[in-house]
Amino acid sequence: MASLFSSWQLPRGFSAPILEGEEGAPSPPPFLRRLALEPRHIRELAAALRRGREEGLVGLPVFRIVEAADRVAARFLDPGDPLAQEALAWLGPTAGVSSPMARIILEGMVRDWTRPRLERLLEEEFGDPTVLDAFQSTARGGRRRALGLPVTFHLGAGSVPGVGATSLLRALLVKSAVLLKPGRGDVVLPVLLARGLAAAEPALASAVAVIYWPGSRTDLTGEALRVSDLVVAYGDDETVGWVRSHLPPHVQLRAYRHRLGVGMVGRAALGGTAWATARDAARAVVLFDQRGCTSPHVFVVEEGGGVSPRDWAALLGEALREMEETLPSGPLEPETWATVHQLRGAAELEEEMGNGVVVRHGGAEAPWTVVFHPGGELLPSCLGRVVRVVPVPDLHQGVALLSGWEKYLQTVGVAGAGEGAEALAEALARLGVCRITSLGNMPWPPPWWHHDGVGPLQALVRWTDWEPGV
Amino acid sequence: MEGRGLRGTGTVEKGKRPAAGAEGVRSPTVEVEETFTALRGRLLELMRRGVESPLSDRAFGDLALEVFRFQCRAVPAYGRFVARRGVDPEAVQRWEDIPFLPTRAFKVAPLMVGDPRHAEAVFRTSGTTSGLERRGEHYVRDLSLYRHSLLPNFQAHMFPEGEGMPVHSLLPSPLEAPDSSLSYMMGEVLRELAGGQGGFYWDPRRGKVREGFLEALRGAEAAGRPVLVVGTAFAFVWWLEEALGSDKVVSLPPGSRILETGGYKGRSRALSREELYRGLEAAFGVPPCRVVNEYGMTEMLSQFYEPVLRTAEEREGPLSARYHRPPPWVRTLVLEPSTLKPLPAGEVGVLAHMDLANLGSVSGLLTEDLGRAVSGGFQLLGRSPGAEPRGCSLAMEAFLEAGGHRRRSSPGGGSAR
Repeated sequence: MASLFSSWQLPRGFSAPILEGEEGAPSPPPFLRRLALEPRHIRELAAALRRGREEGLVGLPVFRIVEAADRVAARFLDPGDPLAQEALAWLGPTAGVSSPMARIILEGMVRDWTRPRLERLLEEEFGDPTVLDAFQSTARGGRRRALGLPVTFHLGAGSVPGVGATSLLRALLVKSAVLLKPGRGDVVLPVLLARGLAAAEPALASAVAVIYWPGSRTDLTGEALRVSDLVVAYGDDETVGWVRSHLPPHVQLRAYRHRLGVGMVGRAALGGTAWATARDAARAVVLFDQRGCTSPHVFVVEEGGGVSPRDWAALLGEALREMEETLPSGPLEPETWATVHQLRGAAELEEEMGNGVVVRHGGAEAPWTVVFHPGGELLPSCLGRVVRVVPVPDLHQGVALLSGWEKYLQTVGVAGAGEGAEALAEALARLGVCRITSLGNMPWPPPWWHHDGVGPLQALVRWTDWEPGV
Repeated sequence: MEGRGLRGTGTVEKGKRPAAGAEGVRSPTVEVEETFTALRGRLLELMRRGVESPLSDRAFGDLALEVFRFQCRAVPAYGRFVARRGVDPEAVQRWEDIPFLPTRAFKVAPLMVGDPRHAEAVFRTSGTTSGLERRGEHYVRDLSLYRHSLLPNFQAHMFPEGEGMPVHSLLPSPLEAPDSSLSYMMGEVLRELAGGQGGFYWDPRRGKVREGFLEALRGAEAAGRPVLVVGTAFAFVWWLEEALGSDKVVSLPPGSRILETGGYKGRSRALSREELYRGLEAAFGVPPCRVVNEYGMTEMLSQFYEPVLRTAEEREGPLSARYHRPPPWVRTLVLEPSTLKPLPAGEVGVLAHMDLANLGSVSGLLTEDLGRAVSGGFQLLGRSPGAEPRGCSLAMEAFLEAGGHRRRSSPGGGSAR
């Protein structure tokens, strides 16, 4: 195996020089071979993608795109296929996750590229997916057609594997050409997906480009914003703010900002199933090493169940300890370790002061940390499997804890809400939560979920109405 | 001891000592008070010798262990923290082996020798952008230790020629910001080292620089007398946006200098240090080789400076080669980030400081700052410019650590912009 992963997949017939040595980047991404890019490459690339889409993708029936994705998914699931082997070899080191984690992430992502999942996505979004191929009659007369914008630029920032590949596939389904700059830790999956798609369906080979460049190359990112019709940006508020301020007025933006996941555990899940609940909760924390937008940072736990919130926090710690063995943490940045020690130390002092705080953690070997924190606030975690458990008299009071964080809420995992589930869901919806799910499903939203409250394909298309009387 | 003319020694010394009870039996409180006074006397003596009198490893180690053992007894919360780690204070042989207290513990409880209600000052860390996290509080039992630590260190690094000069600070005054350790420090510097010439020009209520700042700069320009300009990186960025490209640009007389503190660690798109210093040169006419970075924190009564003004040869070289130098009564360890075991020189780890000036609270502090040991001190390492965030999960850091190195209360401490 080569010692570097080539961090690009270019449309057929397009080439750019390979970067020799390091480009003066202070922290070169490890394991990646990069292209030596100038803004003109981005301009030329956008033009090539626009042509490629006109000449091929836009006329390709949507079911053919689904078929191509399905074939690539099958290759990723076949252990003998080079695509699967390359994915498994590179995903862990480039994303900074352990190899058991890389395998689970790969399987979880690829499942969503299979035909049944994609067909359901199209159905949920459009009813009749052929509205993406041609004008279709509506029930009350008239016709309409949906089509993605010609060239979409997808900007990933960060290291959650799967973000870029999902975004790429969504855009292709609505027949937008894709220029994707993945986050540093998310290069492998989109490059391999794009490579597989190009091999499976020639029309796709001319309509997809995946290229990694460092976030510091704002000249390249800025150029990509100018030559696209729609930008899909994943990043923190600072990144999204930067994109907004550099976007030409005619270019549309779909921004997926950083989010704060929360778990809520009711009395009904604190009886005989308390251990299973703790395991589900731990798994939601552990998957993606807590870096996903759906990852829980805090668990709000109801008092008065068979197992007290304090004891449940102990179970959660036990489950995290076990999972460190089956799904070990990836290497943690020194900065995060430094913060983990701060949190632990402060919590230990609180425990010693008799404030009711109890802290459990994995010592120097493992960063996982559970802080049982009566009266605690909702605060984002430093990540690395660090969570807080806050007891509440009932889950509705837990909702009050979430207020102040509306801008960042997205997924809430709920267990054991019992008869109060309906009212709880209503309260969460009013607060701005856009996904309520079980603890176990937190890490894996289905392809058709309303991502940050919006249909994932509807967010990318432009409708054309053909009114009666023409 | 009280009669030695130390300024401002506070309430604790002023006859609040409880009665000792039966003759010959010293209560624990009395023992603590007496030990504090004795150790303080030795420390003040050490500080009076200045920052150029080196302290041997042995001398520092002995004093550090005494201070550590005393704090385990006298600050019960710290004592319990140490006991929880299975460490017997009397059995520790090397100061490097003590449990360093994470600075965030200052958010949890008042950590002070004696009754926190008798603190002479309470300094607070800056609020956060979200405003949702508790602020750290440093209860300062005895400000004389702060003064005696900060003045010789400041003198040696900012006025190495010996002569002071007017000090114009982009900070709120100590009266406006009584909980800012930085404002307190600059108030002392203004009075003791600058002959009272200069002022405070950050308006905390309006969040902007006061009108008088430009007049002060122009006055210095006209008089041809060098000045020291002090500010946080945040305040300087504010001023650069205001001044650059306008008629507010000045060229301060030769010999002028700038003290800049914190602010470029966190955010990827904040001004790089090179850009900031170029901007300072354009706005003030002070070259980067005369801009000094100070690293300090609310939880510590001692500071670290880059020794750039001290010697000619240290003035040369790129910003990336600069380092921070501790005074003799502080030592810094670089620890492996997960195990917290000391690292060999040159390797990057988490910084832990043993600051004897913190006699009245906790001296052994674990920070969140990364750095590496170099000859003469340590280099601070921020997040590399252009580094990308780790995930699409909201991380605490984005909210709480946007202010950079400095976590003490100061304008803009909570935000890089």
